[in-house]
Amino acid sequence: MVQPLIRLEEIVKRFGNFTALDGVSMEVHPGEVHALLGDNGAGKSTLIKVLAGVHQPTSGRIYVDGEPVSFRNPLAASDAGIGTVYQDLALNALTSVTRNFFMGREITKGARPFGIMQTREMNRIAREEMGKIGIDIANPEQAVGTMSGGQKQTLAIARAIYFGARVLILDEPTSALGQKQQLEVLKTIKTVRNRGDIAVILITHNEIHAQLVADRYTFLSLGRVIGSGVADELGGGDIRRLMAGGAEMADLEQELATVP
Amino acid sequence: MESATTESADTGRRQEADRLKHAGWFSRLVHRPEIGAFSGMVVLLVFLAVVAGDVVYNPLGIKNNLSIIAQLGIIATGACMLMIAGEFDLSIGSMIGFAGMSMAVMLKWGLPFGLGPASPLAALLITLCITLSIGWLIGFIVVRTRLSSFIVTLSFLFILRGATEVCFRTFNGSTQVSGLPDYKQTDAVAALFGGETFQWFYDVLFWLGLNYNRAGDQWVTGFDAKVAWWLAIAGVAWFVLSRTQVGNWIYATGGNEEAARANGVPTDKVKVSLFMFTAFCATIFAATQVFDTNTADAAKGNLKELEAIAASVVGGVILSGGFGSIVGVVFGAVIFGLVQNSVFYISWIDGSYYRTFLGTVLLIAALSNETIRKRFTGGI
Repeated sequence: MVQPLIRLEEIVKRFGNFTALDGVSMEVHPGEVHALLGDNGAGKSTLIKVLAGVHQPTSGRIYVDGEPVSFRNPLAASDAGIGTVYQDLALNALTSVTRNFFMGREITKGARPFGIMQTREMNRIAREEMGKIGIDIANPEQAVGTMSGGQKQTLAIARAIYFGARVLILDEPTSALGQKQQLEVLKTIKTVRNRGDIAVILITHNEIHAQLVADRYTFLSLGRVIGSGVADELGGGDIRRLMAGGAEMADLEQELATVP
Repeated sequence: MESATTESADTGRRQEADRLKHAGWFSRLVHRPEIGAFSGMVVLLVFLAVVAGDVVYNPLGIKNNLSIIAQLGIIATGACMLMIAGEFDLSIGSMIGFAGMSMAVMLKWGLPFGLGPASPLAALLITLCITLSIGWLIGFIVVRTRLSSFIVTLSFLFILRGATEVCFRTFNGSTQVSGLPDYKQTDAVAALFGGETFQWFYDVLFWLGLNYNRAGDQWVTGFDAKVAWWLAIAGVAWFVLSRTQVGNWIYATGGNEEAARANGVPTDKVKVSLFMFTAFCATIFAATQVFDTNTADAAKGNLKELEAIAASVVGGVILSGGFGSIVGVVFGAVIFGLVQNSVFYISWIDGSYYRTFLGTVLLIAALSNETIRKRFTGGI
């Protein structure tokens, strides 16, 4: 087995009396899509925020390439190669694709921060990088607000990869999208995986989407890992049961049936 | 696909990107954010030419109109940059009054701590230090406390206006300074703010026989210096906003602050600098006034902050931030300044209608901005 890109060991995160994560361990490998599944309140968001440097764990260790690390802030995490694509995608809808792609990391000539932006080069790179993961935007100067939801996802993903993300955390990338765009995003995820050097952590509520692209699963419930495994070993029934926090689907169906 | 009988041949190959046509230059022109303000300006210019062309477009009329426009344009540039970054400054007007007081009192009563008489340069630089510090303080309070800039700067609107009156009375005994020597005749710095500029324009008009008085001599000799200051400030602001890295930071900060911060944009620094920039613009405004008229008054700059914001909105800046352009604000300042000044030239309109008219223009502009924003954000 190759060394995991990231390894979490017994991560605990408490907010006052509330234990959001209660000893979570997981491994993420390059060239794999790792689906992180669980019901609302299972701790998924907290876990990715710990990985992204937004929260510091109360206890437990994070290893990147086998080296122990601690992220004091989101910048430290992104320097270590952890790119997070949040649900709101961190985009400014009113400005151009290029301005968003290079937000905060513009290519300039001259003294910062008044250096002149190299617009042509930036346009070219933005277009190329989005093309690499499957979307050809005709005009990189078009406003982000005019793009489809799937294209916006691609922009955010391409940006994270271009700026050195080796672990890509995708927070519910297919929610709030139309059918066709969901598929587009799943295609993008597969393209990224096939590069082989990037690990994708996919957070989703949608078991079908998870089954379509995931190589490995971790199921969270009430702050604990209640199951994990590789795609080939888990059946659809297991996935559904574990996603619902361990409850049998049949039980849920029965419960539903009691409501007139 | 088994039942693709009605499907057109290229269904599979069509891309989302294909739905956005490559627009021609004309279409691109009419979709620019400034187009509304530009059309409004053209309509207004034509209207004025028809109803009062002889007074609005004579040499003196042009000079006077441009003075009003330039004054407004200077502070509107500051207000616009700050609004694009997502914040307001309601203290601009009071800052103008404060800066004017500070310069005039120093010019009349000498430097603080009895350091002797003040030259125009010293008065200006010391005043700049004070106003920039206040701008920094406002920005610092806003980014530290996360209070709405509306409230913080509203507080400074009152604080500065009060402080201005108190300082006037304490140092000068009355709420105005008048009868300062005409520094612009003797001092280069004062002339830079209160003197004339672009004299060649009126020289050319004179040679062309369009600029003479009843005695047959040259009538108007040049534009007020504030016109040059406006063009310089707007030019630099345009360049910074549209071409430089910090320009992108300003858009990013106003458009989606969380996103900007997550991507490494120093949003707090951007905001604080822009609060300092509006203070700078207000100080330049005050300097052009003090050195032009050789007076200062505690009521100077009253309501100017709202005019600056209104001119920005007319120029296409969106109140929620992240969108707007300096070119648009230049047009907005022209519209606002012209209406303010020129309505009084039209004999058959009660001059007081000008506020009613400005309010209407502002409302139309805000509505059309909203339409633009919706087009870009997909109706959110």
